[in-house]
Amino acid sequence: MSNTINFGIDLGTSNSLIARFDRGNVEVFRNPNGFKETLPSVVGFRNDRILVGDQARVYLQRDPKSVVSRFKRKMGTTETFKIKSLSSSKSPVELSAYVLKELKTFVQSGESVDSAVITIPASFDTVQSNATKEAGLQAGFKTVVLLQEPIAASLAYANKEKSVDLKNSQWLVYDLGGGTFDVALVKIQEGELTVVDHEGDNYLGGTDLDALIVERLVAPALEKMGAFTDLVDNMKSESGKYNRLWQTLLIQAELAKVELSTKTSAEIDLGTISDLTDDNGRSIDSLITITRSEFELIVKDAVDSTIDMMKKILTRNSLQSSDLQFVLMVGGSTYIPYVRKRVEEVMGIAVNTTVDPTNAIVIGAAYFSGTREKSKQAIDSRKPLSKLKIRASYNKSSQEKEETFSAKVEGDLAGLQYRISNEDGSYDSGLKKLTARINEDLPLREGAFNLFNFKVTDREGNPVLIDIDSIQIAQGRYSVAGQMLPEDISLVKDDLSIQDTRLEELFAKNSILPSRIKKTVEVGKTIVKGASDGVHIMVVEGPSNRHSSTNKPIGVLSITGEKISKDLIKGTDIDLTFEMSESRDLTVSAFVNGTGQEFSQVFTPKERNVSTQVLASEILLLETKIQAEIEDAAETNNKALASELENALSKVQDLIVNAGAISEDDVTDKKFQIEDQKRKLAQVIFELTSNKRLDQAKADYLETRSAVQQLVRESGNDRERHIVSEMFAREQSFLNSSTPEKILAVTKELNAIRGQILMRTPEFLQGMFQHLMQRRASMNDQIQATQLIENGRRAIDRDDVDTLRQINARLWDLMPATEKTSEEMRAYTGIV
Amino acid sequence: MMPQPNDLVPKWVLGLLNNLFEIEKKIEMSSEHSNLKRNVDRMKELLADQKVFFENPMGERFSETRTDLEATITGTGTDDLRVIDVIKPIIRFGDRALSRVVQKGIVVVESTQNQSEKGESNV
Repeated sequence: MSNTINFGIDLGTSNSLIARFDRGNVEVFRNPNGFKETLPSVVGFRNDRILVGDQARVYLQRDPKSVVSRFKRKMGTTETFKIKSLSSSKSPVELSAYVLKELKTFVQSGESVDSAVITIPASFDTVQSNATKEAGLQAGFKTVVLLQEPIAASLAYANKEKSVDLKNSQWLVYDLGGGTFDVALVKIQEGELTVVDHEGDNYLGGTDLDALIVERLVAPALEKMGAFTDLVDNMKSESGKYNRLWQTLLIQAELAKVELSTKTSAEIDLGTISDLTDDNGRSIDSLITITRSEFELIVKDAVDSTIDMMKKILTRNSLQSSDLQFVLMVGGSTYIPYVRKRVEEVMGIAVNTTVDPTNAIVIGAAYFSGTREKSKQAIDSRKPLSKLKIRASYNKSSQEKEETFSAKVEGDLAGLQYRISNEDGSYDSGLKKLTARINEDLPLREGAFNLFNFKVTDREGNPVLIDIDSIQIAQGRYSVAGQMLPEDISLVKDDLSIQDTRLEELFAKNSILPSRIKKTVEVGKTIVKGASDGVHIMVVEGPSNRHSSTNKPIGVLSITGEKISKDLIKGTDIDLTFEMSESRDLTVSAFVNGTGQEFSQVFTPKERNVSTQVLASEILLLETKIQAEIEDAAETNNKALASELENALSKVQDLIVNAGAISEDDVTDKKFQIEDQKRKLAQVIFELTSNKRLDQAKADYLETRSAVQQLVRESGNDRERHIVSEMFAREQSFLNSSTPEKILAVTKELNAIRGQILMRTPEFLQGMFQHLMQRRASMNDQIQATQLIENGRRAIDRDDVDTLRQINARLWDLMPATEKTSEEMRAYTGIV
Repeated sequence: MMPQPNDLVPKWVLGLLNNLFEIEKKIEMSSEHSNLKRNVDRMKELLADQKVFFENPMGERFSETRTDLEATITGTGTDDLRVIDVIKPIIRFGDRALSRVVQKGIVVVESTQNQSEKGESNV
């Protein structure tokens, strides 16, 4: 365990950050909710909750009696902030402590954050500095070491550019953040980094620039588009007619400003602002373009004021620009190219943008923390583990939009707080006082599993052990019969590569109803208008990793040539929607893109829907299958299997005769009987051959595996190596499964990677090229073929793999259709 | 370490979804582009197959415990807030039954008391 402090904190006026030093590297932490590195330095007290950061910032200017910010500049004063809801006041120290405690929650590794280096502005005097230390102690830090911000930034630079020697130089640190500006003169005095002088403006930052964009560029543009009187006043005033527009435009302006840092123009699309009308009610929908030069013009005065402050420092210290090594740029607003350009051009000093402006200060603080030791107190202190007894009660499943979580708590509750948050990032109760009985209304996401965390912390923000795990509440409406879906529901599609059909899952077993899903499929073969042939949208019930023949048919929506208004060309999309009601009625709707027609049918579980046409083709398919299996069994000398299969075959052949005898509109139960018999036979076959298929799948996998393993080692890239080694790590689990389909899926993935790599391998591509060259006589366009082959030879000579790949593709396209894979097969469903 | 959103959903995918959301919004605002809705729905399906989807929180309630939105309050009043403008949607990774927020929605909210006082719709 390290004895150095290791944690650095930038406690900023607008935003704060926390980082850690670990064996030479610095990691900046992110808020587990929202993943941002920065935490707004805002604290709010609303409805018995303590909110810190983004949650509080929303209410900032709107609820000044309950939400506070910018308390950093009041540190060390006796000024306090009246909090209406608490009927008491909070000091800047207490508020800063809340921010520090919240930053501690960014550290999720379980390690205790008991010491920190906290940064302070160069302008802070002793009283202000002590106040910062005090805030750190209140937040539970045993050791607090302070570091001036410009020095922290300089350390970040020095650690990044390790070879630079700053010993005999001095430089300026220019910090333009979200709401404040600071500039400091730094040099090394007696071996130590020291701030020699500083200037600043507490009320100049990025947010002011956003306001300038809206006021000086957007508002005038709007005034040209419509009738507006006193537009700016009406926007800025809280009760003004256009206040909502002001807020929306500020957000858009900030986004545009950021874009202008990398592009020379940005757009604000008024068309996305709903209900945008002028004073006469006329609607406005237009694009406002902001160019970089327009932006630079309006912010010039603000930027020049910062330069004036820099000049003051030089004058005061009798320095010339040439005496300074560089100007180090810190703070989000220094991303703006104009700021950098203007500073360099007016001051005549090189601008240094090596460090990341947003987190340079916290990174410098973290480096510093790696060099300072904790106080003995921090190392020795071992807190006694306090355990609380909590008995929680809540509904584990609900049909409401909210559920109440209640708990009875026993133990020493002094100074303790609790906090409940949703793991998906959508809810955070904020810190609330832990009392003997607590109640919290938790909002639920409809039709979903809701997972909440329940955490307890002490006065200093340290976690307290409790024995509650996560709170799990499932929200959903169950079917009227009180049951969920008992089996998978799947769509049947043709799979040309295996000359068979396969299932695509629509609704999984145990799904909560009602449910709805959309799928788009392609027409597998052209259906001519008027033909009796068609595509069949077939839905079955049963395990989705099986086959359509073994599962129960729920219904078929047939789109035949007789129904369509024009030819349905192969490759056309059909948009399908499947809706299952609580009582398990299935509505299948199909929109045929080629003809613009919509077909729909409802299948209820009480009526079974069997299409004799589909039934007949399924039985034939089954016969073919069994015959193939019998041949296979004979080859492998599996007499027992062969005889069982022969048995099944004769039964299937009887069925074919029976099925042939029924007409399409038969109203007796005959077709249902035949369907049942077919299904039972299919299940028998499935079981009989499952072992064989399993062994085959395993063998295929192992063969592919060794081929791919070598290939990836020789020619794979990092990503491919990673994916493949991950697959091999999982090997045991799917090889031991009893479903060949799982294994086949992985083999398919491996083959895809193999194909990917081969397509980059020169030897493979050359071999393919040779093969195609030999076939040139049969190609469709001889002139093109000759040209391509000529280009191909040249590509090989200069080792141009990419061109060779393209040439191979084009040569392949010239091959006559029959030479490519023959995809002629009897389509079953007609959709792929 | 916690899975970061960029590990789960790359920035360019978020960009696609944000733009798709804007297209959807524009289609809803004018009746003349309603034939584009089908294509937008198809794109959303394809993205949902890859476990990313967005949600439009327009009209929903907002309070200080809701952390899937970055909200700005307009008008006076801070209670009974509702979303009145959506600049960026909420983007989630996962499926309907279990997902997590990877992009917070950017919205403007207003107190319902304010809205009922105003009467006519204006900006």
